[in-house]
Amino acid sequence: MNVRRRTRGALGVVAMASVLALSLAGCRGGTASSGSSTSPGITDTSITLGITTPLSGATAGPGTCTVAGVQAYFGAANAAGGVKFGDGKTRKVQIKTYDDAYDPQKSLANFQQMVSDGVFAETAGLGTPTNRAFRDAAISQKVPQVLVMTGDPLFSDQKQSPWQVGFVPIYQNEGEAFGKLLAASNAPHKVAILSQNDDYGKGYVSGFKDAIKGASNISVVGEQTYEATDTSVDAQLTQLAATGADVFFNAMSITPLVISSLQKAQQIGWKPSWFLPSNTSSPTAILAPGGASAFPGIYSVSFAKAPQSPDFAKDPDVVKFLSDLKQYGNYPDMPAFPHCMWSYMVGATLEQAFQNMKEPTRDSFMTALRSVKDFQAPLMLKGTSVNTTVDGQPAVSSVLVQKYNGKGYTTVQNFG
Amino acid sequence: MGTLSSVGRRRPAHFRNRWLRPALIVVVAVVLIAAPLGLPAFANQTLVRVGVYAVAVLGLNIVMGYTGQVNLGQIFFVGLGAYVTAYGVTQGWNILLVFLAACAIAGLVGLLVALAAARLGGLAIAMVTIALPIVGVPLAKRLSDVTGGSQGISASFSNAPDWSGLFTDQWQYYIVLLVTAAAFLLARQLMRGKYGRAFSVVRANEAVAMSMGISPYRTKVLAFTIASIFGGASGFLYLAAVQYTSPETLSFGHSISLVAAMVIGGGGSILGSLIGGAYYVFVPQWTNTIDPNFTTVSQGVILLAVLFLLPEGLVSLPRVVRRLTRRATARPALKNPPQSTPAQPPTMEAAPEGLETTERHDRS
Repeated sequence: MNVRRRTRGALGVVAMASVLALSLAGCRGGTASSGSSTSPGITDTSITLGITTPLSGATAGPGTCTVAGVQAYFGAANAAGGVKFGDGKTRKVQIKTYDDAYDPQKSLANFQQMVSDGVFAETAGLGTPTNRAFRDAAISQKVPQVLVMTGDPLFSDQKQSPWQVGFVPIYQNEGEAFGKLLAASNAPHKVAILSQNDDYGKGYVSGFKDAIKGASNISVVGEQTYEATDTSVDAQLTQLAATGADVFFNAMSITPLVISSLQKAQQIGWKPSWFLPSNTSSPTAILAPGGASAFPGIYSVSFAKAPQSPDFAKDPDVVKFLSDLKQYGNYPDMPAFPHCMWSYMVGATLEQAFQNMKEPTRDSFMTALRSVKDFQAPLMLKGTSVNTTVDGQPAVSSVLVQKYNGKGYTTVQNFG
Repeated sequence: MGTLSSVGRRRPAHFRNRWLRPALIVVVAVVLIAAPLGLPAFANQTLVRVGVYAVAVLGLNIVMGYTGQVNLGQIFFVGLGAYVTAYGVTQGWNILLVFLAACAIAGLVGLLVALAAARLGGLAIAMVTIALPIVGVPLAKRLSDVTGGSQGISASFSNAPDWSGLFTDQWQYYIVLLVTAAAFLLARQLMRGKYGRAFSVVRANEAVAMSMGISPYRTKVLAFTIASIFGGASGFLYLAAVQYTSPETLSFGHSISLVAAMVIGGGGSILGSLIGGAYYVFVPQWTNTIDPNFTTVSQGVILLAVLFLLPEGLVSLPRVVRRLTRRATARPALKNPPQSTPAQPPTMEAAPEGLETTERHDRS
């Protein structure tokens, strides 16, 4: 008797649990099927974009900028009534932001959350590993991951990355631009190269070397590398100085190291012309503390107007950008990172795609986005443009070489 | 239905005690197995990540919570496991072999490190473990032929096969559930047996352990190795869940977050490890919805709040609640009860001096 009752109790529990399981199993079918032809995240009056980017941790500065620029652009567009889409409807653009703290695992989690939040497309996120972490998921779920801030060429390969578009120039573009300028100078130059021992440094160096290939006036006299975790490159600098090079190509991504190498070179009396990557050439944060005026020239590349520069103080683009950034981007200060300008251009490029998409679907959006050609986004320097039609190249692949003038940068046509 | 309601009816005490537990286990198991079929994809994906970090925290708990050795390098073993898995998958190894390799290589490295580190004792072990992720990140960047350098390496083996009829998130859930459940059962058995007792004696007092014939050195090495194996398993699960790993995976900051998750969940508790894993995943997700610009601040506030309110971790919440309710109900009933004996027996910690002096006395 007792035994029977026991079994009945246990069986009952199992039976109940199974009923629960079966009824739960039924739920999924309902959520999975979506009958309409409209993609998630877009209605007749609004479209929702998601941004996952580092808003805390060591990369929070540039990360915050990537959000602020997009918010500034669409905040202003929304206030002006919204964006007119290619299907004739006018929509407001909503931005959802997610902090990934530069952790790939968190950026994937954020992406999954975006899918469940019904986001139409991910955009403007900063970071190579964080963007790579959810690239496969974005492809398999056919969610656009577009105009992202990484110099990784994988995002510009249309075959491998059908739902991705990179925005900023890949590392090779920058090295190449400087190499071309140097090769065109027709004067003999001896070049010393120092690069970070990873894809970043290698990208710059390969772009540079491709550009000087066949130029008989340029010779590479010394080449050194360092690790991204190194705290000093004094030994490398001393060795490179001994080569007597008059041009120093320094593919370095670490701010304090750039400052200390500027100082070290002066101490040992080596005064070549420098090339610095776009992300480590800030006039206020790097060149001024490094005492860069001591060198005959500091060259870098850019495609954005620098709001700090007196040349652009009255430029209408810059004035509107700064007021939008303050009013809608929740960023009252002068932008400390170029990512603020870049993400503002991302906003403008997205608007171009929105205006040309014929249907409210992700497919139509990608088609429209991939056909933006020679678009002069606000804040872009003359001679650069957005062009998404070339396979293997990011949306912005043209950069201009600029020279430090003691306060900011001015575009140069010739070396020297 | 009648059978279920009859369970709730009053039964003889022996019946309830004997049947409640197995019945509860069956219910939990069925719910765990059935849950992904009904939950939305995002919930499953979140649970998958909880499983990943629960296993990592569990390993950490064995060496830190149970054995009392500070380990700040657990994330290194997670990353190592993830890299081994990624390498094995890209080489086309059998997935079972990949799993075993992830555990074994992490365990082997853990053993080698522990053989040296456990000799040092005290805070020196903590220093050695700090070095692991600090060395690991540049190493992962440098060995780019195997690791993919700073761009990382993608490898997917956890997409749902067609025959299963499942969505990928459900498939991943079952992979993670299988490994996590096995890890937790294993840890539970281990901690209840002679090894668990040895660990806790070593934590409490190494001299006492020695007097009982337990070698503190070997026990520490064992605990450290087990923790590393769990770390490797967690790395395998990491790759099942994320399908990508990069040097960022094993950055030192995450190691500290794991320690925080362990303390929050409850040090020296199996269930606490699960709660710790949940904390590691849910809190960033939750702070994101509050305000993505203040995730670190709100995480810090939550950390402090838990530590002040529940110093023994979230796992002690039911105990604390019970104590509080008992106090609340007991007070009005008893009016100035004469108390001749202490309400609770004195704990072991009440007399550490006694042990110390005897031991010192013995030695001299």
